Amino acid sequence: MTQLPVLLAAQARFPAPEFESYSLPQMSLEELAADSVLWRVLVLCIFLAAGSVSFYKWRSRKAMLAYSLAGLAVFGFLFASCPCPVGMFQNVAQGIADGSYIQPGVLLLFAIPLAASLFVGRIFCGGACPLGAIQELLHWKSVFVPRPLDRILRMVPVLLLLIFTVCAMYGIGFPLCYLEPYLPVFLLDFATPFAILSAVFLIVGLFISRPFCRYVCPYGVLLRFFSLFSMLKPRITAAECVNCRLCEQGCPNGAVLPPENAGNAVQRRTGSRRLSMLVACIPFALFAGGLFGYFCAPVLSSFHRDVRLLHELDAGIRSEAVEAFESTETTESELRARVVKLENGILLASTAAGVLFGAAVMAELIAEARRRKEEEIYTIDPSLCFCCGRCYAACPLERKEKHHEK
Amino acid sequence: MTRRDLIRTGLLAVILAPFAALFRKRAETGTGYFWQIDPDKCVQCGKCETECILPQSAVKCVHQYASCGYCLFCSGYYQDKRIEFNTAGENMRCPTDAIIRTYVEDPYFEYKIDEEKCIGCGKCVKGCLSFGNGSLFLQVRRDLCRNCNECRIAKACPADAFVRVPADKPYIYRKPPEVKS
Repeated sequence: MTQLPVLLAAQARFPAPEFESYSLPQMSLEELAADSVLWRVLVLCIFLAAGSVSFYKWRSRKAMLAYSLAGLAVFGFLFASCPCPVGMFQNVAQGIADGSYIQPGVLLLFAIPLAASLFVGRIFCGGACPLGAIQELLHWKSVFVPRPLDRILRMVPVLLLLIFTVCAMYGIGFPLCYLEPYLPVFLLDFATPFAILSAVFLIVGLFISRPFCRYVCPYGVLLRFFSLFSMLKPRITAAECVNCRLCEQGCPNGAVLPPENAGNAVQRRTGSRRLSMLVACIPFALFAGGLFGYFCAPVLSSFHRDVRLLHELDAGIRSEAVEAFESTETTESELRARVVKLENGILLASTAAGVLFGAAVMAELIAEARRRKEEEIYTIDPSLCFCCGRCYAACPLERKEKHHEK
Repeated sequence: MTRRDLIRTGLLAVILAPFAALFRKRAETGTGYFWQIDPDKCVQCGKCETECILPQSAVKCVHQYASCGYCLFCSGYYQDKRIEFNTAGENMRCPTDAIIRTYVEDPYFEYKIDEEKCIGCGKCVKGCLSFGNGSLFLQVRRDLCRNCNECRIAKACPADAFVRVPADKPYIYRKPPEVKS
């Protein structure tokens, strides 16, 4: 507001001239661009339906490859990485915190794959997700991640989901968007420093299947959870399984589970002891998680612009933001009050997120220690299956059956 | 109904109920919001040019003709360190030659922004403010802006000049343009 008197003085300096035969042109401000998101929602629904048919009915690896290819072309390049698993959840989290940020199209794009995962599993990941599609197509030779490492890395997406939900809800920003490794590929913009990250992920992805989906994707955490309860479950072969292990070796994502035998009594006893130990540990894990979140909160809030501005003001740094702030009407005490409120909010949310993370770690450990239902055949874990159809192609019985059909 | 079916129905409700609530909340807020620059807060730092995710920024310079002085020597048009008052590159303020100067009548000139060329750097806005009437200002163009929730310029703006305005409201001007009959 301090600018205004200066401006008025300046206006007096050169009064608008009186023209004889000249009328003022129109200012060139136009109307809103049309929102194309609802159209994308429709395309997404068609894709999910087509993917489900080719995965559950045709049971064809080739059809799934075509599905990924189409997904990459349409969602990746045509829509410029549109149903983005990284951006969507942050947008929704921000919308929950502040209703004015809700965009109906984004909300639909977020909810539809989740709802679909309750019926057809992770068909979305299979190829409708542009990031999933590019990783599916650019995978060459499978290198298996050692089991313990896999289990530890699997917790990273949970952590990212929780941290960046807090960030989005409290206006810290969407920092994960900058780290999304495939965006430079879809936008064909390799000038950013983040293009290095995409090169790393693409090269790693040649050998380790879907590194982003399995060890980074925060939206995948939600899909993984919901697809546990999927109505349709992929089944490797309709014929009688001969336990040849080919499907297990064929699955690069570790979603094929070997037959589960009862084991002997000693094994069962140590197993149940481990399980009860883990259950006893739950309160400690929750507490430790909460503590972790509590100590992370100041780090998170230090990324907020208001917090940074106050810090610069206190430290006497003459930054652009400080100079701009001094030219506004807001007083320092108002800013301080705002920052205190913000910091308290982040502290609470971060602690809650920490508790949730502790719970997620415990759930993972317990799921690992728990005895599975007895199965004589190879089965697929729907929460880890990305619906690529490789196991169908690997199964000799499946091949034989397809051959007979012809 | 098996236990699994029950869980699935419950989870479907868990997904759908909050979304229905969010949709209702969204309906209450009306037409949605749109990013705009408050020209009174803008300090012309130049970040609008560099931070936008679009190849060419959605922020453009807008000329508010009503408050323009139609000066012969426009401080938005010419450099401070100009050598001569002519259109040679070293005299120009605009790095992309996006200001079109046309003769109106003695001694007045009209200045028009060529939107194809304008990159939203705000140099002319700063120049105009420094000496002239301040009739130029930067504004987010609705026909170009992708309206990201996470607007990169808004996050980088040192002056906090990016504001969200209901989409059915008109653009914010530097000051209401005078209506001339």
